[in-house]
Amino acid sequence: MSVLNDIKLKAKELLEKGDVDVVIGYAKGTLNGKCTPYFVRNANDVENLVWENGCDINLANYLLKISDKAAVIAKGCDTRSIVNLVKENQLDRERVVIIGASCPSTESCQKCNHPDPVIADVFLQGETKVNNDDFSDLESFSKLPSEERRNYIYKEVSKCIRCYACRNVCPACYCKECFVEENLPAWIGKTTNTSDNMIFHLTRAIHVAGRCVGCGECVRACPMGVDLSILNRKIMKDVKELFNVESGLDLDTKLPLNDYKEDDPQYFLIGGEKCE
Amino acid sequence: MDRKIIAFLCNWCSYAGADLAGVSRFQYPANLRIVRVPCSGRVDPLFIFTALKNADGVLVAGCHPGDCHYTSGNLVARRKFALTKSLLEFIGIEDGRVQFDWISAAEGNRFAETATKVVEDVEKLEEWDRWGGEK
Ligand code: SF4
Ligand code: SF4
Ligand code: SF4
Ligand code: FES
Repeated sequence: MSVLNDIKLKAKELLEKGDVDVVIGYAKGTLNGKCTPYFVRNANDVENLVWENGCDINLANYLLKISDKAAVIAKGCDTRSIVNLVKENQLDRERVVIIGASCPSTESCQKCNHPDPVIADVFLQGETKVNNDDFSDLESFSKLPSEERRNYIYKEVSKCIRCYACRNVCPACYCKECFVEENLPAWIGKTTNTSDNMIFHLTRAIHVAGRCVGCGECVRACPMGVDLSILNRKIMKDVKELFNVESGLDLDTKLPLNDYKEDDPQYFLIGGEKCE
Repeated sequence: MDRKIIAFLCNWCSYAGADLAGVSRFQYPANLRIVRVPCSGRVDPLFIFTALKNADGVLVAGCHPGDCHYTSGNLVARRKFALTKSLLEFIGIEDGRVQFDWISAAEGNRFAETATKVVEDVEKLEEWDRWGGEK
């Protein structure tokens, strides 16, 4: 309650002083236990803000859709996406006031080791969760016979109707022209055959490598219940193990896929060592 | 069994290496379809995934580290390749299906050897379902 009060006070102050044109946060959703993104432009409307379990949507993406000076109420993943967007020159840090607060979501955010904001202009300390995501799900998956693994992924992608909601909500997928829409050349078929769906999902997973923050937005947005977070998580683990980088933790570390070291591992070469 | 392999070769080293293999009359199987790319750094893993919709295997080759015509194209590329290879393995794609190598313009012999190895490896694998094909 007190964190919510602090959020409201801060939002009100920023709007009344004219420091920002809009505060992006959450209001109660229409479904029980769900919260919806909420844009406050009038200081009186701060009363509608909420901060509770169900405030899980990654708000960073909205900052790209508006050009006003904005404040955003941000938990761990939002701030990590913001860090990446600033590093990729998609977002002007000066245009955004970050009201940071510890993630209030308990259900959908268990596989997250960074519930607290990594950057903030004001940090409203709440109760900090301690999660310990050790990627054990990947380990058990890896132990399955290869055929079973492949079939699992095929089955998951075959549900996909290629609406691209997952891409549209992803804060790492902001390309003005995504490869799926390019026509000359057409990189990928427009069908929803397993093959085209595989190409879409594998490519997207690799495109967001080192930039995905594991916010889960892509899974939440999917109308067909497709959950391929295991692909993103596998890449996240590899990026950490091979290049020693975790996505979006600070403004200084270079994006891992824009960087290299002379002695980067080369197990992928013919005759190379196998990766863990 | 006529298996098709798509080879993405960088213009400055591996493509020249393939050319040298030809000029030197080093034999390698005709299953390879070569796509010349400006640099291994140009190889979006998308190319590999899409190639596998229409072919049975993929070879990607570029200049040796330190020799890239654009200095660091292959050094940035190898991080992508490392992740791609690992991801493919993770989802149950055989090790031989997609292979990577560094081959210089002077290594005509090595190109022929690598090409032969990749073709032989892919021929040993079970028939590829081309990403599950049509639903
Ligand atoms: S899938 Fe790739 S091309 Fe499409 S928006 Fe995301 S990063 Fe850009
Ligand atoms: S890929 Fe999914 S989990 Fe990763 S940043 Fe994008 S929306 Fe979030
Ligand atoms: S949101 Fe779901 S159905 Fe739509 S493209 Fe993404 S995975 Fe496919
Ligand atoms: S030019 Fe050959 S790898 Fe860059």
